[in-house]
Amino acid sequence: MDVFLQQCLNAISLGGIYALLALGLAVVFSIVSLINFAHGELMTLAGYAIYAALLFAMPLPVALGAGVIAAALAAMAIERVAFRPMRRADATSLLITSFAVSVILRVLFQNGISARPKPVALPPELSGVVTFGPVHLSVIALASIAITILSLAALSLFLTRTTMGRAMRAAAEDFQVLRLMGIRANRVIAVAFAISGALAGVSAALWIAQRGSVDPLMGFVPVLKAFIAAVIGGLGSLPGAVAGGFALGIAEVLFQAFLPPEALPFRDAFVLSLVVAVLIWRPDGLIPAKTGRRS
Amino acid sequence: MTMTIRALLATSALGLLLSAPARAEDVVIGLATAQTGALAFADQPSLAGFRMAMDEINAKGGLGGKYKVTLDVKDTRSDTGATVQAAQELVAEGVKVLITPCDADPSIAAGQISQTAQIPTLTFCGTTPTITDAVGDYMFGTYPADNGQATLLAEYAAQQGYKTAYILKSPDTAYTLRLPEYFADVFQKKGGTIAGEGTFAMGQQDFGAEVTKIAAMNPQPDVIMTAAYEPDFPAFLKALRGAGVKAPILGSDGIDSPTTTGLGAIANGIVHTTAGFPADGTPLGDFYAKYEKATGAKPETVYVATGYEIPYILDAAVTAAGTMDGPALRDALANLENVPVLTGKVTYKGTNRMPIRDITLVKIEDGARSPVETATPDAALVPAP
Repeated sequence: MDVFLQQCLNAISLGGIYALLALGLAVVFSIVSLINFAHGELMTLAGYAIYAALLFAMPLPVALGAGVIAAALAAMAIERVAFRPMRRADATSLLITSFAVSVILRVLFQNGISARPKPVALPPELSGVVTFGPVHLSVIALASIAITILSLAALSLFLTRTTMGRAMRAAAEDFQVLRLMGIRANRVIAVAFAISGALAGVSAALWIAQRGSVDPLMGFVPVLKAFIAAVIGGLGSLPGAVAGGFALGIAEVLFQAFLPPEALPFRDAFVLSLVVAVLIWRPDGLIPAKTGRRS
Repeated sequence: MTMTIRALLATSALGLLLSAPARAEDVVIGLATAQTGALAFADQPSLAGFRMAMDEINAKGGLGGKYKVTLDVKDTRSDTGATVQAAQELVAEGVKVLITPCDADPSIAAGQISQTAQIPTLTFCGTTPTITDAVGDYMFGTYPADNGQATLLAEYAAQQGYKTAYILKSPDTAYTLRLPEYFADVFQKKGGTIAGEGTFAMGQQDFGAEVTKIAAMNPQPDVIMTAAYEPDFPAFLKALRGAGVKAPILGSDGIDSPTTTGLGAIANGIVHTTAGFPADGTPLGDFYAKYEKATGAKPETVYVATGYEIPYILDAAVTAAGTMDGPALRDALANLENVPVLTGKVTYKGTNRMPIRDITLVKIEDGARSPVETATPDAALVPAP
């Protein structure tokens, strides 16, 4: 029972990170129908910003803030340089552009910074353990859960209580009508990228807290997870992205925990089969976007 | 128009290559290695060391005192297909020696091509002991092999009095799968038992589920051994200590990086293998100082040193063979014994072309490494590849 409870906590902790990652993709997709595969490189960039800030002996909260801001600014810059000129292009061209941005950034990191991982040393307090009765939770896992909840709450407040937030939700449902209402499209899109970048920065902080280093190829796995989670949740749907993230995290942890040892090397195959099953059952995802727009 | 000019240039360049009577002492060594992509973390530093040594040897008159070497470096982007293509181009160009990436798959694929062309081929730091036999008699390893590293770790575990071990492996690469299995082999030969095994998928860095299983083991294993490296190893370690598991950890040379020492107190007590420890006054320590003077920074990894050693191994073989012709050079390499290099001595004679060489065990304490022992693994214990 204790082990089961512990595994549930593990699942929530991992699911939270996936939810943040998927949300980062979904915010942009809901508005411009683009899966931004350079999202992972935004995480890497945030990682290097945190690394640099710590190198200059800045306190940890400042360094983490620097990471989030760097990723948000970079996301806006990428939108301006790479995606805005492609505004009228079809979804495939946008997708390929995002791959190109991702590859360019990776090579820049690799040849401009280092091909080797850069250590990001976190204060020792962060490697502690908190014990609740029978279950242990590392401070990092606990922080992941807390930060995920805070970020989700902040985003939902922004989307429901501010004009820009409402505009973004409206844009997700029908961009043309939104423009007819006199809202400036470029600004809505830029804000969507900034939020997506900030989410990448927050996920990067959590991701790096686990691995203790940043390297040029760091973003690949998380963006893949985010993509899977966003698809299960329903592409372009924000609640869907969160649900998809948690579903993926829970499935991964439970399969890892309870598959017999001989089957463990095939864990990802089990998880992905489940994803396929979900999509057969609900082709538009768990919580489909209101427009039902698909890539 | 451009096409015509390009074609003209290409044909004339080809013509030059074919017609220019290359001076006997000018040779080309081809490097089909990963300067970008997933293997660049190992191939870039290896190449930096390799270049440095080659420059030194050229300044002294070249390999064997008479072969001035130019390097043709092709980036394989860490892609096995691109490695094969690069190897084909280099072989067609007539390189005398081929260097392949720090990994088994691209090295074996490239080796198939150079083997047919009778060109001696060395992998930068591929550690899988099956690389050489998978290719043939022109393929040579240069780095301490997985089964050797595992043997030294298992012997150390037995010396420490550990009776039970847990091994964590990943089927994603030969290194992360076989090294722990070799360890288990030797550890059992030494009287230990394997209390449990875990599996992980590389790069996913979520170990919550796996460490919960370890934490639930009763009794706890005396020691935990894994060949996981970045980013998996730090994530595993953090999760493990986060779950309250206190068993000591044995690791392999993949964690010989600044990240591991940057992990703080949770890294204390980790013992892992590496190709060498740069203590002051040792050849490796002197090399680190020399490298720092030349480049402004200390090597981040021992791969710089092991890359640096390869031209000197070649130099010894060319000196012995007196020529750089494929078959003669292959025989000379295969018969090398006790060639002094930075990290000890390298011997190919009597091996399957994976060298017998010293391996160092280091221990991490308070963010720094200290040497535990340097030894050549006991050949009688080393598991067959």
